[in-house]
Amino acid sequence: MKKLFIPLMAMGLLSTSYAQQKSNFVMSYSIAMPAGSLSDYISSTSFRGISLEYIQRVTEKLDLGVESGWNVFYERVDNKVYTEGTASISGVQYRYTHAIPIILGGKFNFGGGSKVKPYGGLGLGTIYLNRNTEFGLYILNTDTWQFAVRPELGIRYEYAPGRGMLFGLKYYSASGNDDLDGQSFFSLNLGIVL
Amino acid sequence: MGCEAFVNHIITIKSLNHLKLNVMSIKLYKMAGILSLVILGACSPGGADYIEELDLVFTNYSDTYNFQSKKTYAIPDSVIKITGEHFNNPGSGRPAMVSPTYGNVIIAELKKNMAANGWTLVSKTSNPDVFILPSAMTTTNIYYWYDWAYWGWYYPGYYPGWGWYYPGYYPGYISGYRSGSVLVQLIDGASKQPGENIPVPWTAIFNGLAEGDSQGINARIVTGIAQAFTQSPYLKK
Repeated sequence: MKKLFIPLMAMGLLSTSYAQQKSNFVMSYSIAMPAGSLSDYISSTSFRGISLEYIQRVTEKLDLGVESGWNVFYERVDNKVYTEGTASISGVQYRYTHAIPIILGGKFNFGGGSKVKPYGGLGLGTIYLNRNTEFGLYILNTDTWQFAVRPELGIRYEYAPGRGMLFGLKYYSASGNDDLDGQSFFSLNLGIVL
Repeated sequence: MGCEAFVNHIITIKSLNHLKLNVMSIKLYKMAGILSLVILGACSPGGADYIEELDLVFTNYSDTYNFQSKKTYAIPDSVIKITGEHFNNPGSGRPAMVSPTYGNVIIAELKKNMAANGWTLVSKTSNPDVFILPSAMTTTNIYYWYDWAYWGWYYPGYYPGWGWYYPGYYPGYISGYRSGSVLVQLIDGASKQPGENIPVPWTAIFNGLAEGDSQGINARIVTGIAQAFTQSPYLKK
């Protein structure tokens, strides 16, 4: 048992130090622009957003990562009549959409050894969406999970190994389901690499 | 997810991490935690600033009813107050009435809008084509099928045991939680047999918070009733 324990510990230590060098945590401020069906509902750009990523270097050129975050979309719609069949209802609407993506993906680094590293990536995962429409004294709520594909492009600047800043553009392309049409959006990210 | 729940969630994750991470990491994660709280600080932006922004006007009608062939209407001089599904006869045969402070404004505004839409006001005994029945409630439900006996004091040729009938449509999905509602029913004036249900070809509901001074509430009622007619162009002659 002891014999087995020591190599396991050594492996554990090794992998920890390996991970410290080869993995990063990225935290970004995220500005999001609604697209498609989401922009029909809320057209305003969202300045309330955060994106968190954990990235593991696989090779010099390839990173694998997992990301999550939170974007809050909001818009006030002035008094307006909504008609369905013979029924009409009018009032002011306050519309909200909270989007929380959970994405697994890869990033391909183009930059070689330089401090400025452009990258491109593709991720797959899901987005949790929570839509609230405040209408008069009532709230209409829909929440759902949608399948998402997330291509991205960006530039990473490393001022020290594994430390730096990041500027990137992501597109969250969500697939519609029974609850909601696909709620897709672009996000501009300004982040720090820890 | 509520704003507070999410922030608490972040705080919980942060405090768990404290146990595992070295001092440097704690600093970085603290920074990350504080930054996320700043960014998400105003995570429920906007919302109504004024009471009238919570007002809704709902209308619905029967698309098989021929509004164009009707020209005259009668309306009572008071607005009844609906306190529940069943009518508790207080002895006089009349239900409780809405205070004239509001009732007079509701009646006057309905008359004004009916006139503007080309309808002629007649007395209830002159065989009007339709009746306009205004009521109000501050109950948690809107009683679309309230007791017909509420109108026994007013309606000519009234029979107990009548019910309401909304031909081909459902009056509305609004419920009145914490709110005040004015319900306006347009009913056909043709004579009815005992035991029949009374068709209501047009329904309008004005719903909002029943708060503020009477001047403020009346101003909102006036706007709401005018809006009910604006969004019901089939009433226009």
